[in-house]
Amino acid sequence: MAILRKDTPIGFEFRGTMKTVTSFRTWLFSGGWPPFDGWPARNVHTDAEFAKRCGLPGRAASGAMFQGYLTELMISLFGEEWLQGGRMELKFIQIVRMNETLVSKSRVGSKEQEEAGTRFGVDLWCENQHGEKVVVGTGTGWIR
Amino acid sequence: MTETGKTANELAPGEEFEPAAFHVTQEFNENYLHAVEDFHPRYMQGAAGGPPIVHPALLINYSNITRSPSFRLPPGMAAVHTHEEVEYLAPAGVGGKLTVTWKVIGVYEKRGKPYQVVDALIAGENGAPVLRRKTTNAFVAIPGGA
Repeated sequence: MAILRKDTPIGFEFRGTMKTVTSFRTWLFSGGWPPFDGWPARNVHTDAEFAKRCGLPGRAASGAMFQGYLTELMISLFGEEWLQGGRMELKFIQIVRMNETLVSKSRVGSKEQEEAGTRFGVDLWCENQHGEKVVVGTGTGWIR
Repeated sequence: MTETGKTANELAPGEEFEPAAFHVTQEFNENYLHAVEDFHPRYMQGAAGGPPIVHPALLINYSNITRSPSFRLPPGMAAVHTHEEVEYLAPAGVGGKLTVTWKVIGVYEKRGKPYQVVDALIAGENGAPVLRRKTTNAFVAIPGGA
């Protein structure tokens, strides 16, 4: 079930579920699979010392993790059909550290009637607990 | 090193990273559901008699260039993911094998940093496309790196 409808107006805002980027969830995401000997794999997302050697203040969550949050939001807006032709363009503007809380947000920026349905352009971003944007971009999908 | 003997930052437009294949089991998929706190039934049980579908975050993470078996960087350098364009083409079912291919489609310099743009494609066992991405990475020197 999609949240957007053909008559949803430009300016409509919708926020996704609040997520906490815990240490363990980041290990699950970036630690590799399967979780056998040597898990989690050492990288800037999973290992503080590794991250510091790379010039970061500490472990940083993978951008793919909060890209996943925005994908969940887009599927909420457009329904599962969004996985067949839906698009996103994102720019990663700030690192996300352990135990930050993120919420994905959206605002309908454009809509056009096309043969395939109503095409919506949506502004997308994730904010941390300080209200700072960590990723910004746009998404596109259709309501048929 | 890639098959050409080059590190990732040396690859020019038209050159490719070594492809990677991975098999998504239910446990592998559920690992990602826990990671991103998304337990929608479409990922656990499937719908309309079909298998559960692979979580999009798993697809994104396993199509990063760092997943290529040939991805290497010289000592003292890191790759930072800065920009992303993704198009979802079809859901992938849990239980299937997916293959990722990567091709460099552009390089440029901005504020003294080299950037590389890579086209990544995930395809299912029958070759049907699942997801296409255009990812941009900056190659940065690690402070105090070799």
